[in-house]
Amino acid sequence: MNTNAFWHFLTLQLFKERSKHLSVIVISILILFLLSSVLFISSSIRYSLEETLKVQPDFVVSRVQGGIAVPTPMVWGDELLDIYGVSKVNPRVYGRYFFEAKERSFLVVGVDFLEEQSHKTLQKLIDQTDIKSFFNNNQMLVGEGVKRYLAERFYKDAYNFLTPNGTFEKVNIFKTLPSQSNLIGNDMMVMPIDLARKIIGYSEDEVTDITFNVPNPDEWNMMTDKVSALHYDLHVVNKNDVQKSYENLYNYKGGLFLILFLVLLGTFTLILYQRYSMVYSSEQRHIGLLRALGWSINDVLKFKFTETVVIVFVSYILGIFIAYVYVFALGAPLLREVFLGAQNLQNNLNFVPVLDFSVLTSIFLIYALPFMAAVLIPVWRVSVTDPKESML
Amino acid sequence: MSTNTMIQIENLYRTFHHGGNEVPVLKDINLNIAQGECVVLKGVSGSGKTTLLSLIAGLDKPSAGKVLIEGEPISKLPDLFASELRAKKIGMIFQHFNLFEHLSVSENVTVPLIPSGLKMKEIHEKVDEALKVANIIHKQEVLASRLSGGEKQRTAIARALVADPNIILCDEPTANLDRDNSLLFIDILGELHHMGKTIVIATHDPLFDNLSFESTVVPMVDGKIV
Repeated sequence: MNTNAFWHFLTLQLFKERSKHLSVIVISILILFLLSSVLFISSSIRYSLEETLKVQPDFVVSRVQGGIAVPTPMVWGDELLDIYGVSKVNPRVYGRYFFEAKERSFLVVGVDFLEEQSHKTLQKLIDQTDIKSFFNNNQMLVGEGVKRYLAERFYKDAYNFLTPNGTFEKVNIFKTLPSQSNLIGNDMMVMPIDLARKIIGYSEDEVTDITFNVPNPDEWNMMTDKVSALHYDLHVVNKNDVQKSYENLYNYKGGLFLILFLVLLGTFTLILYQRYSMVYSSEQRHIGLLRALGWSINDVLKFKFTETVVIVFVSYILGIFIAYVYVFALGAPLLREVFLGAQNLQNNLNFVPVLDFSVLTSIFLIYALPFMAAVLIPVWRVSVTDPKESML
Repeated sequence: MSTNTMIQIENLYRTFHHGGNEVPVLKDINLNIAQGECVVLKGVSGSGKTTLLSLIAGLDKPSAGKVLIEGEPISKLPDLFASELRAKKIGMIFQHFNLFEHLSVSENVTVPLIPSGLKMKEIHEKVDEALKVANIIHKQEVLASRLSGGEKQRTAIARALVADPNIILCDEPTANLDRDNSLLFIDILGELHHMGKTIVIATHDPLFDNLSFESTVVPMVDGKIV
């Protein structure tokens, strides 16, 4: 078969039967768009989480009594420092502060600004902050979600916290946390540790938890045992546990979508299969006619295969492109709510564009293989029957 | 087989199986058709003439016996060779025209040449030539769905001729045509006969009883040549 003549006829057929192909392409694009969007979002969230967790401390220690978290004695930090292999011990003070009027809450995080921070983004932000002016007044750094939420309620520059002893504590908003940290920092209020204690109601020798690093990953398992042995009510969590619980959460949501997608794809495949295998379809008559006009089984299969590949590729490229724009340029409206959950505060998280080759290949295979099988198996069955029978 | 035999049919049987019953459609057909001969298979509906034509074209397989085209047993050849034989040596004209309705006249005529290995320029030349012979070149850009019955038949003729086959098989070619278009079709057949084509026509139309050119009428009754 001459390649030019073949492609000439293929493009002619695709163009002349565009209305027939268009419906298949539109449905395919929709399915691919949904699948790609879900996988793009989960890849991007996984990437952001990995990036965020990379700069998180390796271990977090807190006090748990009767299954309830209680304030952790600050002196435990000194005991941790005595363990060989432990570095960068940081006490943290944080807690949920409820904005009662709307049943929303902020995460108040107390930071010792004079200590080196284990969180690099926070450290970078502190480095850029004029500490002297920051300490002169009660000041805080707030996440984008907090800033927006308070501004809508006329707290543009400051907020009055109601402390546990019934007094008000006015804290000025100094700066907004960078949007890259929105995945975890959207509802945060970062302030000096003593101020945070006052708002949450901790005494001077109490903290919420204590973080520390263990530079040698081989010591992590043993370190958990060593630290747990310090106190009966000491609860220790490492970074991998946190990562796993986050991944489980997002994989669970992505998995639900994947099941929905597979049901959708299965239905579409069945429809396609039925369409191409219908006994009296025009498709069968066309194939029989081509055979009667001297086309061999190979010629027919080659033609139909190439036609299907073109449709699959066009749908694939368009589906991926639209999903990319939807997720990374438009921020995935609607779907983001599903993935980020019923957020405490509206989160303007930007999904970091991540194009993983394995994800793209998976999308192609999950979509293309059933599609091609649904079209080509009936085509093959018709091709191998006598042309007279197909033309009936 | 004599040297100028184009189609040779030997002890040909075709039986269909329907609801557990065997329905014999062709019974012991023997027929030799010489090169350049025009044969009219004449018979009422159900006499087996269309089935015989399909077997000659290799569109169906016989239950027993064989069909030889220039000595090649078309029904026993593997698909690749049978298709090639059909593409090069046989042109089919169907009762219902069997055109691709979404394609234009010239595009329909192009279809048999796509697997031929010819370049597009050569294909266009052959298509133009066939359209001229079938007297339909003036409608070459028109969609098949917009043609009259006579125009569709002439398009089908052009398609059958485009690969310059030696054999033209016509299945009830005038069944869907009025008298004027039927006579026009017979005139074109006459031209093809003068060009030396071997023609086999399956029909019950009385217009084919006394053709203006030399032809042999083969009557068929109940699957047999009588």
